[in-house]
Amino acid sequence: MAEEKQESSQGDIEGVNCLAYDEAIIAQQDKIQQEIANTNPLVSDKQDLSVLQKEYAEDDAVYQLKLKDLYKKYAYIRKTRPDGNCFYRAFGFAHLESLLEDSKELQKFKAVAAKSKHDLVNEGFTEFTIEDFHNTFMDLIEVCEKQPSLQELLNSFNDQNMSDYVVVYLRLLTSGYLQREHGFFEHFIEGGRTIKEFCQQEVEPMSKESDHIHIIALAKALNVSILVEYMDRGEGGTVNHHVFPEGGDPRIFLLYRPGHYDILYK
Amino acid sequence: MEFNPFSSVKRLMKEAAELRDPTEHYHAQPLEDNLFEWHFSVRGPPDSDFDGGVYHGRIVLPPEYPMKPPSIILLTPNGRFEVGKKICLSISGHHPETWQPSWSIRTALIAIIGFMPTKGEGAIGSLDYTPEERKALAKKSQDFCCEACGCSMRSALLPLTSNSNPSAEDRQAKELAQQINFKWRGKPPAEPGSLLTCFSLCLLPQAGAEEPQTRDDRSPTRPLSPRQRRAQQHSRQPPRAGREPAASRAAFAPPPRHNESHAGSAVLILVLTLALAALIFRRIYLANEYKFNYDL
Repeated sequence: MAEEKQESSQGDIEGVNCLAYDEAIIAQQDKIQQEIANTNPLVSDKQDLSVLQKEYAEDDAVYQLKLKDLYKKYAYIRKTRPDGNCFYRAFGFAHLESLLEDSKELQKFKAVAAKSKHDLVNEGFTEFTIEDFHNTFMDLIEVCEKQPSLQELLNSFNDQNMSDYVVVYLRLLTSGYLQREHGFFEHFIEGGRTIKEFCQQEVEPMSKESDHIHIIALAKALNVSILVEYMDRGEGGTVNHHVFPEGGDPRIFLLYRPGHYDILYK
Repeated sequence: MEFNPFSSVKRLMKEAAELRDPTEHYHAQPLEDNLFEWHFSVRGPPDSDFDGGVYHGRIVLPPEYPMKPPSIILLTPNGRFEVGKKICLSISGHHPETWQPSWSIRTALIAIIGFMPTKGEGAIGSLDYTPEERKALAKKSQDFCCEACGCSMRSALLPLTSNSNPSAEDRQAKELAQQINFKWRGKPPAEPGSLLTCFSLCLLPQAGAEEPQTRDDRSPTRPLSPRQRRAQQHSRQPPRAGREPAASRAAFAPPPRHNESHAGSAVLILVLTLALAALIFRRIYLANEYKFNYDL
């Protein structure tokens, strides 16, 4: 009995060490996340594009040249928090913002969004686990129907809970479209994975970053055209852009810098 | 970051309603006074050493659920998973295989069943008991009664009906486990992240101390009490969900022995460093891909 007790207390001490080790790492991760959260709202106010100037060294010729090129085309930027969900959040906000003053397009979008849950369920997604996300997404569209102030929409997107639910639903739509069109998309998947595996690993989990394939899928799933300006260290002095899907008439403009998306305004 | 528990409450109520009635294979319900702690029972897969066993455990939900995964703790000795330890289903975004908010407690239950017949293969927190021991534990598991939720394993699940044909749930469980297992085998240790590796996660520093005990001194008929009690003690700690991802790398190293724990952590540090370096290099490479033009 005494032996057992000793054994047990030793186990507890080891347990404390284990806990301390785990907690330290978790605490550090939380701290990093918190710092990012403190300095970056999920979606920021609209800012003058010149704020970007400060982010690059004056003698950084490549970026300074590209910034000049960017100034020719755009005037404002709205930043998103770099948390791995920035593409979805930027897309969600920019699109709904653009629909605030276009009730005809909003109604079209609402119809597409309303039907989308049905499509996902038909593909095998579990209805009762996805419907909360869908409902939140539809609630937000309905809020937009009432023509709220821009600030109200911004507040919704800065409410962590609501904002993340919208991100989850956009991820589900992306995953659903990729799986529906797997015959086309499977040629673009690296590492010998199936589309389903890719979706489970790179699309549906939160904080997984987005690439071309995600953008194409979401743009097509919602029938929305997206223009992305690519600003990286490449030669040429100009920012290159892509429209997803090709040939569309984009109403959303995103700025991509390696690993991150923000929203641009003309 | 602020989370509104309202959405997790709503979701958990829904899941509780969906899982209200026991099936032949699993049952899970929240404790009466805490929606964020559930107890579950699962039936051992019929065509395995766990045939005839019914196993009981706890599920602890984080306040951020379903944005973050539940933690699972088995309470019945089973010879596959250690008792009274958190086995994380999947954790942070560093893993290729991570928690998806559209998964549910049901998914987790099916994953547990699917994982029982897979090999522990020395992963920390996994047990590789002999088939005889597992069968003995399976038989004995029926005697288990949970004090906290007051359910007995004999009546926790619906009796199996015509069990000649494996049910859809069995197949689903196997598929899920195989799918995840396949990834685990197919990937180099630097990119773990299957459910399997996560299972062993938070046990890392404890493993050295636990190992000799569980490997050498164990006995299938050993009374449950000390560990059980400790499990209960652990269970009273505040729920802690998403464990950190880094430690899971170690799941691929052989379980460290007591006297090797320093060597073990050195290997762990080395592996982690290499993994990080590889990831950073890959990131840089991807970011600068345009520079690697082949038509020089």
